Amino acid sequence: MGNGIQAVHPFVMFFYYICVGFFAMYFNHPIFLLAGCLALIAVNFTHDGGQAMKQWAPWMIGMTLLIILINPFINSRGTHIFFYFRGKQVTLEATLYGVVTSMSLLMILLLFISLNIVLNGNKLLFIFSRILPKTAFLVMLSIRFVPLLKRRLTEIQDVQRLKGMTITQGTLRERAKSGMSILQILLSWSLEEAIETADSMKARGYGLGKRKPYIPYRMNKSDKRWLVYLVLLFTVCVVGGFLGYGKIIIYPALGTLHLYLLDWLVFVSSLAIALFPVFVEGREQLKWNYSI
Amino acid sequence: MERSRKYLLAVSLVLLALLVISIVFLHYKAYLLLSLIMIACIMIPFFARFEWREVAGREVVLLAMLAAIAAVGRVPFAGLPSVQPTSFIIIMAGLVFGAESGFIVGAVAAIVSNFFLGQGPWTPWQMYAWGMMGMSAGLLRNTRWMKTLWGKCVFGFLWGYLFGWFMNIWIIVSNIEALSWEFFVGIYVSSIYFDLAHALSNVFFLIVFGASWIKILQRIQRKYGLLEQQTG
Repeated sequence: MGNGIQAVHPFVMFFYYICVGFFAMYFNHPIFLLAGCLALIAVNFTHDGGQAMKQWAPWMIGMTLLIILINPFINSRGTHIFFYFRGKQVTLEATLYGVVTSMSLLMILLLFISLNIVLNGNKLLFIFSRILPKTAFLVMLSIRFVPLLKRRLTEIQDVQRLKGMTITQGTLRERAKSGMSILQILLSWSLEEAIETADSMKARGYGLGKRKPYIPYRMNKSDKRWLVYLVLLFTVCVVGGFLGYGKIIIYPALGTLHLYLLDWLVFVSSLAIALFPVFVEGREQLKWNYSI
Repeated sequence: MERSRKYLLAVSLVLLALLVISIVFLHYKAYLLLSLIMIACIMIPFFARFEWREVAGREVVLLAMLAAIAAVGRVPFAGLPSVQPTSFIIIMAGLVFGAESGFIVGAVAAIVSNFFLGQGPWTPWQMYAWGMMGMSAGLLRNTRWMKTLWGKCVFGFLWGYLFGWFMNIWIIVSNIEALSWEFFVGIYVSSIYFDLAHALSNVFFLIVFGASWIKILQRIQRKYGLLEQQTG
């Protein structure tokens, strides 16, 4: 079961991801988005020391820079003009818009990296098995088949290599052809096996009566407390955003970037939501090290 | 079953309400959020049909196996960039087992392969694009057009491009205020090579392996009497 963030009920985590994903697309104040990105980077560090983030880093940095650099040159809306490039105006608004868009996208990508670590297969399927039970069952079966099929593939490839069929040599046409032949062998082998699996399921009573999902996760007291915490802060943020806090006007002319008192309130509550996994882990650390 | 029906109804109503609210009230237009909600709204009825239909155990396992094969199909082709048989397998499933099965195999293959390659905002788009590919193959399977080899090849070629064009939309939607003709054309021009490779590999697989795969799948279908009653 793990500890820290892994022990939090999947529904709470799912709600957290919905909140943060919503914020990434809801607020467009650069400071809000920058804080959101930094918070999610911190969250990713608490998961695995940033291992998963490292794999995606070049791609994410490249994409962010690309949007920031390209947007001012292909988009000439706005009134504060920096300079002219090939007869087109390069504006402050378009530059800022590029920054906002890229950070909002970056935030969503960071969110998904964390989601892939925390809500792994079982938990995500647990959430969907309550809404779409049959589809979740189908997906679960299918995921279980993937490692099995991979094992079979290596087996088939080993045998076929002895017969001289390989996808590492020859022309593109030959390689594609032998790759597909390997898949075809896999198909006819696995379809027969699938029927056998189904028959053994039937023998154990699949389809008799209603299916009830196994519930491996229970909502305990601290889960409920965290859920209330998230819902309250989320409400503050949504209402605040609705009234225009945390948002700026970019087009046609840039509005003020100044943060008013209520802006700060919304800012702090959105940050408190985004940092929720860090708080959970931090509490765990305090308990472990200082037995508070 | 009754409970999930209520859940589904509630979910669709909530989504519809969200859609209306965000159009009417959100000053900052969150297009990516909207597009994801809309895709979910479109896909819910297809999944709902699958949920409510009586499906035998054998059929569920068969669909799961086809989706898994479509997802694993990328493995032996790892050395060949932008050649992947997933689309071909989904088209085959739609052709033999009908529109509904084609959609389910396509959508599930997208989810399953992304469990191993990483989920992201692109998952719903992929689910939709591959689901539609399988479904359209199922819907057209009894036409004279799709019974000929040429018809199938044209279908595979078109879907190679349609899939790429559809996946480009998610990049455009997440960036929509920047939309200008240069940006739009730039995105589509930069994907031409990949789409062409996808389309050509679909055609290649359909020509060389189409007949034998249909034969294998139909043999299983006849032998065990699976997924036959529904006419695409």
